[in-house]
Amino acid sequence: MKTTLRSFILAALGILAAQSTLAQSERQPRAKGIESPGYVWNTPDKDLNRALDYKASAKRGLVAYKICRGCHLPDGYGKPEVLYPQIAGQHASVTLKQMMDIRAGRRDNPAMAPFVGDWIVTVEELADIAAHIKSLPPPANNQKGDGKNLAKGKALYDKDCASCHGANGEGDHKKFYPMVAHQHYGYLVRETRESRDQGRRNASPDMVKVLKGYSDADVEAVSDYMSRLSLAKK
Amino acid sequence: MTSQTLLRIAALAILASPLVAQAGDASKAISLAGNLCASCHGEDGNSAIPNFPKLAGQQVVYLLRELKDYKSGKRQNEVMGPLVSGLADDDLANLAAFYASQKPAPGTVTEPSLLPVGKTLYLKGNAASDIPSCESCHEVDGSGSGKFPRVAGQNVEYLLEQFRLYAAGKRNNGTRVMRTIAERMSEKETRAVSEYMASMP
Repeated sequence: MKTTLRSFILAALGILAAQSTLAQSERQPRAKGIESPGYVWNTPDKDLNRALDYKASAKRGLVAYKICRGCHLPDGYGKPEVLYPQIAGQHASVTLKQMMDIRAGRRDNPAMAPFVGDWIVTVEELADIAAHIKSLPPPANNQKGDGKNLAKGKALYDKDCASCHGANGEGDHKKFYPMVAHQHYGYLVRETRESRDQGRRNASPDMVKVLKGYSDADVEAVSDYMSRLSLAKK
Repeated sequence: MTSQTLLRIAALAILASPLVAQAGDASKAISLAGNLCASCHGEDGNSAIPNFPKLAGQQVVYLLRELKDYKSGKRQNEVMGPLVSGLADDDLANLAAFYASQKPAPGTVTEPSLLPVGKTLYLKGNAASDIPSCESCHEVDGSGSGKFPRVAGQNVEYLLEQFRLYAAGKRNNGTRVMRTIAERMSEKETRAVSEYMASMP
């Protein structure tokens, strides 16, 4: 009797577990990321290539962007208090890659995943959205850090980050390197820390290697410095 | 009228006809709407019964999609399913055009005290629980656009039922967006935003 009861409970637990896995997988799929052997960072997959080849239109993107602006706001400023990033002016290739990575489950973001699935936006609409976001002017009033360790932040940035993200934080469209200038401080801290700790599973392995030796204080200093970079200073 | 002019008119008519067929012809749906739909949705699509949706002024793209989904069974409803199952696609398009062209009547607020909470959620969302604003898709005035339905003046009870169906995963003919949002909304937010939608002219 005892065994029957136990096996019944185990079976019930099994069903519960299976259900919760199902519920989760409905939210966001999970694909191989940096934790998996053979992970290649910036080789575009079929969908990304299609989106990059597509003749995107910022004007059409304004309509498709409706699904995004409920959180990222019409001007792309986001909500720094809850770590929604600033996206105005971001390279289209970067926005596309990130949207596709979230869609495919290479970057974990259960909050955003339902809004970027193939049930709501086509590959072409994603390309139009990315073009629209690129056309928005990046803000000067993005969230900054406390400004106490900017010298250290600059030293770290120039040594480890500038070669890819650019001296002014401009990033590189061709290489999928994000523009980090004009980004909110809190978001930069979280993403840099997550990249270091391999929680950002679609991160560049080269960047993860660089960040390995970073303390939390280093992450904060370099994020503060990045948040003060401006394309207007060029 | 020269024969050339007649030819031009004929050519234009032929060119235009597929568009008309696709968009639906409201005038062809008048008797069908009167016989089949009016008892629940009202003569002019302004349903007086609280748990049936108002259709007057609804987005035509949305109406047609929902009708088609009822027909195919993607959207399940024990009343609507059997009713539209025998209709041709042209009928559905005509009905959608008919209701989209009707004038929406003002809605009825049942709990005015909830309106401020509803207004904030509608316009700003709730970032603490990752709820986007409603206005981003349904527009500031609640008029909707294209596949995003009009919500202004809608019946509160119908709205509440839809939020419940979405949250339970039982209305899944559209996208998963509304399901996600409904899941993230509290009971109070759900009631409040439904009241606010009903209050919009």
